[in-house]
Amino acid sequence: MAYTFKGGVHVEEHKNTCKIQTERMPAPPVVTIPMAQHIGKPATPVVKKGDTVLRGQLIGEVTGGALGCPVHSSVSGKVREFKEMLTPQGARVQCCVIENDGLDTLSPDIKPFGKKLSDSTFEEIVEIIRAAGISGMGGAGFPTYAKIQSAKGKVEHLIVNCAECEPYITCNHRLLLEDPAAVINGLKILLWALELRQGDIAVEDNKLDAVNKLEKLTADTPIVNVRVMKTKYPQGDERQLISALYGRDIPAGKLPADVGCVIFNADTCAAIYNAFANGMPLIERPVTVDGDCVRDPKNVIAPIGAPLSSLVEYCGGLKRKPVKIITGGPMMGQAQWDYETPVIKGTSALLVQSKRTAIDYGGQSACIHCGRCLQVCQMYLMPKYLAMFSQAGRIDMCEKYDALSCVECGSCTYICPGHVPITQYIRAAKFKINEQRAAERARIAREQAELAAKEAAAKEAEAKEAGADDAAAEKTAETSAADKTDKTDKTEGKEEK
Amino acid sequence: MSDNDIKKDGITETPAAAKASEEVGKSADTAKTSEKVEKNADTESPAVTVADESGITVPERFTVSPNPHMRTSDSTRSIMIDVCIALIPALLWGCFVFGLRSLTVVLLTIFCCVVFEALTQLILRRPVTIGDFSAVVTGMLLGLNLPASIPLWVPVIGAGFAIIIVKQLFGGIGMNIVNPALAARVFLFSWPDYMQTFTEPFHRLSLFENMSKSDAVASATPLVSLKSGNLPEVPLFDMLTGNQAGVIGEVSALLLIIGGIYLLIRRVITWHIPVAYIGTVALLSFIFPQAANAVDFMLCEILAGGLMLGAIFMATDYTTSPSTYTGRLIYGCGCGVLTILIRWFGGYTEGVSFAILIMNLFVWYLDKWTRPVRFGGREKTEKKA
Repeated sequence: MAYTFKGGVHVEEHKNTCKIQTERMPAPPVVTIPMAQHIGKPATPVVKKGDTVLRGQLIGEVTGGALGCPVHSSVSGKVREFKEMLTPQGARVQCCVIENDGLDTLSPDIKPFGKKLSDSTFEEIVEIIRAAGISGMGGAGFPTYAKIQSAKGKVEHLIVNCAECEPYITCNHRLLLEDPAAVINGLKILLWALELRQGDIAVEDNKLDAVNKLEKLTADTPIVNVRVMKTKYPQGDERQLISALYGRDIPAGKLPADVGCVIFNADTCAAIYNAFANGMPLIERPVTVDGDCVRDPKNVIAPIGAPLSSLVEYCGGLKRKPVKIITGGPMMGQAQWDYETPVIKGTSALLVQSKRTAIDYGGQSACIHCGRCLQVCQMYLMPKYLAMFSQAGRIDMCEKYDALSCVECGSCTYICPGHVPITQYIRAAKFKINEQRAAERARIAREQAELAAKEAAAKEAEAKEAGADDAAAEKTAETSAADKTDKTDKTEGKEEK
Repeated sequence: MSDNDIKKDGITETPAAAKASEEVGKSADTAKTSEKVEKNADTESPAVTVADESGITVPERFTVSPNPHMRTSDSTRSIMIDVCIALIPALLWGCFVFGLRSLTVVLLTIFCCVVFEALTQLILRRPVTIGDFSAVVTGMLLGLNLPASIPLWVPVIGAGFAIIIVKQLFGGIGMNIVNPALAARVFLFSWPDYMQTFTEPFHRLSLFENMSKSDAVASATPLVSLKSGNLPEVPLFDMLTGNQAGVIGEVSALLLIIGGIYLLIRRVITWHIPVAYIGTVALLSFIFPQAANAVDFMLCEILAGGLMLGAIFMATDYTTSPSTYTGRLIYGCGCGVLTILIRWFGGYTEGVSFAILIMNLFVWYLDKWTRPVRFGGREKTEKKA
């Protein structure tokens, strides 16, 4: 019996590239490497314009122990400039533009760690992972070393996420077929570091060939279990994965570690192994290039910083006029407006859609209350009502109906026969709720500060006039009482608003 | 940045959605920055600049839109067409039993519904949406709920009431509070003579014949005898297959069930409402039989009258039924109880239409009361307690 969860939707799979060998693409003439590719502090450049850099050389380092990952060059060549550019996540960050000399000279800094796993300490492993600049490669991109640190001692289950529930994407599937040892070894490193006895590899049942291969390889290693999950979107979401495997539901606003679980992407595991065994930092990653405009869809190992256009070119170029390009899967990926946007550590796929497949949000839309969004919502929300409230500006009702629990997986919009952009309405409501909450917090902080200042002033005045005659003291008391009444009135009025 | 700018880029059309994307754009941690949208809006036309090697031109800027970038092939239109397909067996049987005049009645009702929908939307300056087939479904359901001998001006009035007053004046598709076809049917009871005259089965009426009451060869429906506490003369098998008097679409329970199974397979409806509705009626009539044989009485209550048509096609109307499974079960049970109460204690022999209309009014409350606990919400309350 395959593990599964309640809700969700079976999305058309389109796993066109699952039978095609992954290819390593030659590095493009110019790469643009963003200094911030995920949550955390941007890296500070350690090279200057005009410097010569080697493949794998450190070009950006996070200082002062702040959350963030160092950045490495994915090619050898010369630093042309530093400029601001949009990353696929839509943030405007400083990027290092490197001209490729085509020689691929490897940096001498890259050497294996040298110690056996059983001799290495937790701190050493965390430092290797941090120095290799590894962040989550499934999409969200949380710095991996920080995740390990926060999970240490708290968790009892470790899951390697190969569910790959998004349509089109097959890079994890190909990784499991072509280099399963890297994933298993990466998992073993993590298990050692976190002092866990067992780890689970979660694979959806549309990848049974990969499951067979993994089961053969892990037959004599009892510490690695292969778990077959039912193919359903969003099986790869950490909440659904944990709920399906262990029956634990993460409460709203909590993290997997709060229910004793930690999840790593399969690519991340392979990258950890690569860093440990070869000293290789994260400078390239597999990307599924697909979509109805691409002539030869396939998985390519692309250097970080390669423009999206170079990936499409490597895959035989375009066969139709493109309308939309998407980094990540079609359900949660981000549409890009620039063809030259670079590949980053979290880019698992690149989809190029023509007019035929790109959906148009501009058409007629009307909710017919079929209730399908309620049936597919794996957070058990009421998407259609949230969308209605959001449309009507009833932010209070959105809040009451748990809009903040929405994970924006897009299932409701996918299934909606009325073509209502439900996810977007909910996102707008979430934004407004957060804005209101921030304003509320600011107001309370300001009022408390005012009150404290007033009280301090009143005390001072009292102390001063303590020696004065009774009549004067009475007068002061009256004034301060009147002051206080004024103050309460004001507060009440504000609260009503 | 005005809404129009965004429209051009095909991000979204409804002003609220446009506003939403604009505001979401302002937050730094989401996918779209306002800058991105602005830049897009600056380009008057997505000018073609970069030419690929293969000669295919690449726009300088691509369309950006929120996720997801995929959509199911189902649409309002495909769902409505499925409902029409599911009703066709019952319609054909009606034509076979009551003659081609039934087809005239149904087609005329559909035609009027579509015309009224288009006209109202034109007058109200709303986009004309007759392409979604929802007016066709309303027309078909209303037509199938009329006796074959009805004078042809009655369906026209009914269609007008259903579409203009019940549907469009409440805001169009998805906004109506009660089921338009049923509301119109109940409205047409203002002419009880026409609405309560049922043709004897296999007395086929010709296509455009002008009917007087005596021509219609009136026959009592099984419900009339049930009301007086007797089992009807019509054998159960005839009630199942459709050899009984009644309105055009309700006579053959079997064909309606087949239509219902088609809808279940196509996942247009879920089993909750029909099963809860018919089950409640069956249970109540079995426990409190009004005639000698409880089992026969129960089967008669289920197969006679509009219960099948109501439970499978009318009560499951999306807009006027709850969205949660629990809500649907309660709604179905409520319909069942009201149907039985009206059939046994009301003035009319039939109670399905009134029962569904009454339950329609509770839809929002049923959804509200049966709201699911959000994922992970249960644990939290347990911990608190």
